Amino acid sequence: MTLDNIASMKYFAPELILSIGILAILTVDLIVGKPDRKRSSLLAMSTLVLALLATLVTSDGVSRGLFGGLIARDPFTDFFKLLFIATTAFVGVAALRSRDTIEYQPGEYQDKESGEFYALTLTAAIGMMLMAAATDLLMAFLSLELVSILSYILAGFKRRDRKSSEASLKYVIYGGVASGVMLYGMSLLYGLAGSTSLSAIHAIKDPPLLTLIAAITLCFAGFGYKIASVPFHMWCPDVYEGAPTPVTAFLSVGPKAAGFALLIRFFHGAIPADVRSVPLILGLIAAATMTLGNLAAINQTNIKRLLAYSSIAHAGYILLGLVAGNDDGQRAILLYLVTYLFMNLGAFLVVMAMSDAGLGEELSEYRGLGKRAAFPALVMAICLFSLTGLPPFAGFFGKFYLFAALLSRGGTFNTALALIGILNSAVSLYYYARILRAMYFEKPTNEAPILEASLHRWNMGIMAAVTMGLWLAWTPLVDFAGASIVQWYPHATQVASLH
Amino acid sequence: MDPSLVTPGTLFFFLLASVVLISSVGVALAPNILYSAFSLLGTLAGIAGLYLYLGADFVGIVQLLIYVGGILVLILFAVLLTNKIGEVRLSNLSAGLSLGVPASVALFALLARVATSTQWPLTEEAAAPGTARLGDAFLREHLLPFELASLILLMALVGAMVIARRAAKEESRSVPEGTHDRLA
Repeated sequence: MTLDNIASMKYFAPELILSIGILAILTVDLIVGKPDRKRSSLLAMSTLVLALLATLVTSDGVSRGLFGGLIARDPFTDFFKLLFIATTAFVGVAALRSRDTIEYQPGEYQDKESGEFYALTLTAAIGMMLMAAATDLLMAFLSLELVSILSYILAGFKRRDRKSSEASLKYVIYGGVASGVMLYGMSLLYGLAGSTSLSAIHAIKDPPLLTLIAAITLCFAGFGYKIASVPFHMWCPDVYEGAPTPVTAFLSVGPKAAGFALLIRFFHGAIPADVRSVPLILGLIAAATMTLGNLAAINQTNIKRLLAYSSIAHAGYILLGLVAGNDDGQRAILLYLVTYLFMNLGAFLVVMAMSDAGLGEELSEYRGLGKRAAFPALVMAICLFSLTGLPPFAGFFGKFYLFAALLSRGGTFNTALALIGILNSAVSLYYYARILRAMYFEKPTNEAPILEASLHRWNMGIMAAVTMGLWLAWTPLVDFAGASIVQWYPHATQVASLH
Repeated sequence: MDPSLVTPGTLFFFLLASVVLISSVGVALAPNILYSAFSLLGTLAGIAGLYLYLGADFVGIVQLLIYVGGILVLILFAVLLTNKIGEVRLSNLSAGLSLGVPASVALFALLARVATSTQWPLTEEAAAPGTARLGDAFLREHLLPFELASLILLMALVGAMVIARRAAKEESRSVPEGTHDRLA
């Protein structure tokens, strides 16, 4: 069912509410004249709650094309809407106490630019929602650019910090090149289909294989850059290290998930993932991404850089679900993104809480953290075990579904890929254990206990609790993810006849 | 070449294409950044010509107004107003010619093969001025991208303000040492 512009408004309510909230935050700042971090964050949080309600109220499990088929509103979109609202809310709350985003002077918080910070973050949320909803190359490009531009600004948000500015600039240059390459690929697809709609691209009759593969590969430059997969990952360590920690946490979860949503739409909606060479290309990229991320992480001494390489490796694992190319693979990606949200945000929240308490970001500073700050160290340990994929933590179940989806497809290539994934998990244990060893088995250089802000403590507690207890709610979550996979096959009858 | 292809139209196309190509080479290779900026004039104007040649009148005019008239002038101002532009030290020299050249040649060969070997579906429509249709599309089937573009521009503006205002503040602060504590 495709709705016209007016009829679409009802199903576009979450994005509309967010836009109004953004304008409200900026306008209230202008009217009152005195920026206030608490007020801005309160406005942002209530906007997110309203958007959440609007999502739930208008969600009825039916797949609709909105605005004449430019974007879709289906369970898949709703799943990602919830994911993005949660990410933005957790990061927004954490940023309230973070001295990394908005300048902190001893004794007082400076509230300058806090309104802009929340407005920019909420806009990024709109961009991510639209990325997950895009069923048209034009919308895919525009929403991706929206998220990218906001990421550039947010990465450079830290005052008087060379690293932050450098991160922002590198991100801009890298992102510009990636977007340009992606547009070239999109122009080839447009040339073949005569339309930018994904369903029209799906319906291309007997596409010349060389052109199709070239177009897909070029498009992948843009998507791969968003999820930080090899060979488009180079920006990731520098940006994650330089950006303010709340922004790093946001970038490592939100835009990455949005990139995967777009990839799923692209490969399941426009190009059937079982078109001969597509799984091969994706598989090679996934293997390279996992391996490079994990091997490069081993020697890192900065904890944000280490987590950046770990997040590259995780993009590789998640790509395996795309290689599987079926509904199981898609469901596994959705499940993994949920577990990844909590375990990765949890790890970054610990880094954030510690740097707010005056601890540096070097791994050596984390020596003896188990004694100095018992709770954050415990949360970090839980998140790291989960990132490794050890049971009974959430990460284990996520990885299990990914590998299982791949193995159930059979074939030497898929089995080899799954083995590479498992080997990589073993490698990752090594560098995650370095953090654990520093925290629990090494003598601290300074014995003074570290007190984290209570807001951070609550936030970390939620992340750790979910990471540990997700298996309790695993069956409903699997059902929910299974019901949320892309249903929007506008040419469903043609797809059925092909197989 | 097939003689029937040599029409005034194709000659015009090759003329425009060579203007674009030569001036883009100039942008990339000019030793002085000012010459690069001026070479950009040929590239952008040539592309405007290509748009007009393809019958995209509105896009062509917009390209002239915004890129040639606005962005290029902005770039020139930025270049002219930047201090010490002559003594730019390139910290990342484009080394690795041995890898870069084959990679570029291979990419060019691939893209050229894609462009020439594919049977692109052609429309029967003759190129005609499309401004009216464009306006229609903005308010009907492409309303959402149109509005989204305005959101992107708004937030880019806000972001630019955040970054630029801070830079200006830093400058004014750096002169009187220690006074910023009272100001803040």
